[in-house]
Amino acid sequence: SRRHSVNRPPTPDVRDDDDDRPKKPSLLEIVNIKLIESGEKERLMELVRERLVECGWKDEMGALCRAVVKKNGRENVTVDDLVRAITPKGRASIPDSVKAELLQRIQTFLVSVAH
Amino acid sequence: MSARNYSFTTPKPCKHLVDYKLKHGLKGYNLIQDSLICGPYGTSMINKPKSEIPRCSFCSGYNGRFYMCLICSSVTCRIASESNHTLLHSESNDSHEIAVDIERAELYCCVCCDQVYDPEFDKAVVCKKMMGLPENGNGGIEGGEFRLSKRKRLDFGADFDLKSVKRLVLRKKQRSKSCFPLGLRGLNNLGNTCFMNSVLQALLHAPPLRNYFLSDKHNHERCCRKSSSDKLCLPCDIDVIFSAVFSGDRSPYSPAKFLYSWWQHSENLASYEQQDAHEFFISVLDGIHEKLGKASHAIKDKEDCQCIAHRVFSGLLRSDLTCTSCGFTSSTYDPCLDISLDLNISASSSSSDFTSKPNETIPVSTLAGSLDLFTRPEKLGSDQKIYCENCREKQNALKQMSIKKLPLVLCLHIKRFEHSTIRKMSRKIDRHLQFPFSLDMNPYLSSSIVKKRFGNRIFSFEGDELDVSTEFEVFAVVTHSGMLESGHYVTYLRLTNQWYRCDDAWITEVDEEVVRASQCYLMFYVQKVICNKGSDDMSCQPVLPLADPFVPIAGYC
Repeated sequence: SRRHSVNRPPTPDVRDDDDDRPKKPSLLEIVNIKLIESGEKERLMELVRERLVECGWKDEMGALCRAVVKKNGRENVTVDDLVRAITPKGRASIPDSVKAELLQRIQTFLVSVAH
Repeated sequence: MSARNYSFTTPKPCKHLVDYKLKHGLKGYNLIQDSLICGPYGTSMINKPKSEIPRCSFCSGYNGRFYMCLICSSVTCRIASESNHTLLHSESNDSHEIAVDIERAELYCCVCCDQVYDPEFDKAVVCKKMMGLPENGNGGIEGGEFRLSKRKRLDFGADFDLKSVKRLVLRKKQRSKSCFPLGLRGLNNLGNTCFMNSVLQALLHAPPLRNYFLSDKHNHERCCRKSSSDKLCLPCDIDVIFSAVFSGDRSPYSPAKFLYSWWQHSENLASYEQQDAHEFFISVLDGIHEKLGKASHAIKDKEDCQCIAHRVFSGLLRSDLTCTSCGFTSSTYDPCLDISLDLNISASSSSSDFTSKPNETIPVSTLAGSLDLFTRPEKLGSDQKIYCENCREKQNALKQMSIKKLPLVLCLHIKRFEHSTIRKMSRKIDRHLQFPFSLDMNPYLSSSIVKKRFGNRIFSFEGDELDVSTEFEVFAVVTHSGMLESGHYVTYLRLTNQWYRCDDAWITEVDEEVVRASQCYLMFYVQKVICNKGSDDMSCQPVLPLADPFVPIAGYC
């Protein structure tokens, strides 16, 4: 018969002492830590800021924020509201050239720390 | 929309901030001062050891924004509204409610989940920043000019002698289409001289300049310079043009004598070739200054030149060089007769419409964009390191321009002609520039620019120049159409709310839209307080000292 699933042993419980042990850092975390410790992350942040100012992205976000404040009233807007409001359009309107440049830089960095 | 004289009003503190202040006063702020360092753009931030990354005391995460509690200095993170450990911190520690954004050195209330503002906090940040720096080369602490700025004396450039000026008051409704205001007269083209005619039209209608010549401040018949050896006096020739254009005679006028005089003044530009209108504008002002200014070869005095050209057009630009390592800034001031702006090419349309698709942004260049570009901090290349007095070594620097003093009449020059010495060619940028008829120059003042440099502060310094008038109205636009070598200049004049197109000898009434769609090259704005654009109801207005007495006359053609 095909009812093997019924006879399957129960899913093992997660053992309690796993929670006490420090979690092994993921690859993403290791990369991020390396980026920060070498100062490269700060440089990349500066680069991104510069590019986003140059292409007018920052001004556009500023205008969006002003629109939100105007609509809801100055007293009724928090930083979180603004972030939530502009994040979708913000992420979508990053020029491809900026993304490409950033990826290139990160790639170069990864190659350099691999050695 | 906002109150005229204030670029901000201090927001009310939340009750948590109030409680905190009552309990702790300025203690926490002063402690923070010790941890403040200079960030990459010269703004303040909380020091964190480079080798360590900030981690949230709750989750050990390293993403999002970090806040340091003012009471216990523990650091927590906040990732927008998804995960807010600053809130958890305040919930698990009684009255630990106020924190500082580590990246920005700005106050935050954990309970309200929002930024809060306290002038005393900002003062602490700003003071710390400046105390750590020596006096800059100009003898003043950078940004620390706490004195109140002197009330700006509005200089009209001429005292209006009403007796020598005809007063004509009429009702606008009676004005027929063919009746133009006084002072509108076509100028004949004397051989590719549209560059001259276009600028002359703008000068003829620059309120302080017009008032000066029409109130006889420089009379060409009485001028003593005529008897001098060179017999050359541009102000005299200009006076002649004013008299001719405002005489009431509507037939096109030929400014031949003026052209001849100008050729003698600017020998290198004397030819029948088309010249650059901007170059002509500067050389005319120079010609006026030469005759009417103080000894032109004298060493630059502390006093400003009082010749009419400078009194009307001269402003002061400030150039700041900031060391990116320590934030030390040195400033230099240079007078200017105009501001040359690059077109904001990479602009995307700043529509506040959320629903527009991301790929539909149409690049629109605006005057505001160009002015932003002009005052934007520019990172100097690593081959352009400057010597920082504070660090005592060459460092990377940021350069930033701003306007220290606005002139009465602001001439904005759009750099449409690109000359490349390398490729030995020039080209014209035809891109349309959107410009407003009413312009507020406040965001480009040195006080505004410097304030932004300290980050998001609710603290007024440099006197904030609240009483400086920054609102301008456009009154003339010199446009260029066609190619670089064979183009044509046309000026649009705005007189009592009506636009006129001045194309050499031909003057016609046009609608606003025509002006907005034109390709502006030189834009002339006058301070709102000394112009009277004319209200809609012009029936028998009492003539105020500032009012323009030259209102349209019905029946006078």
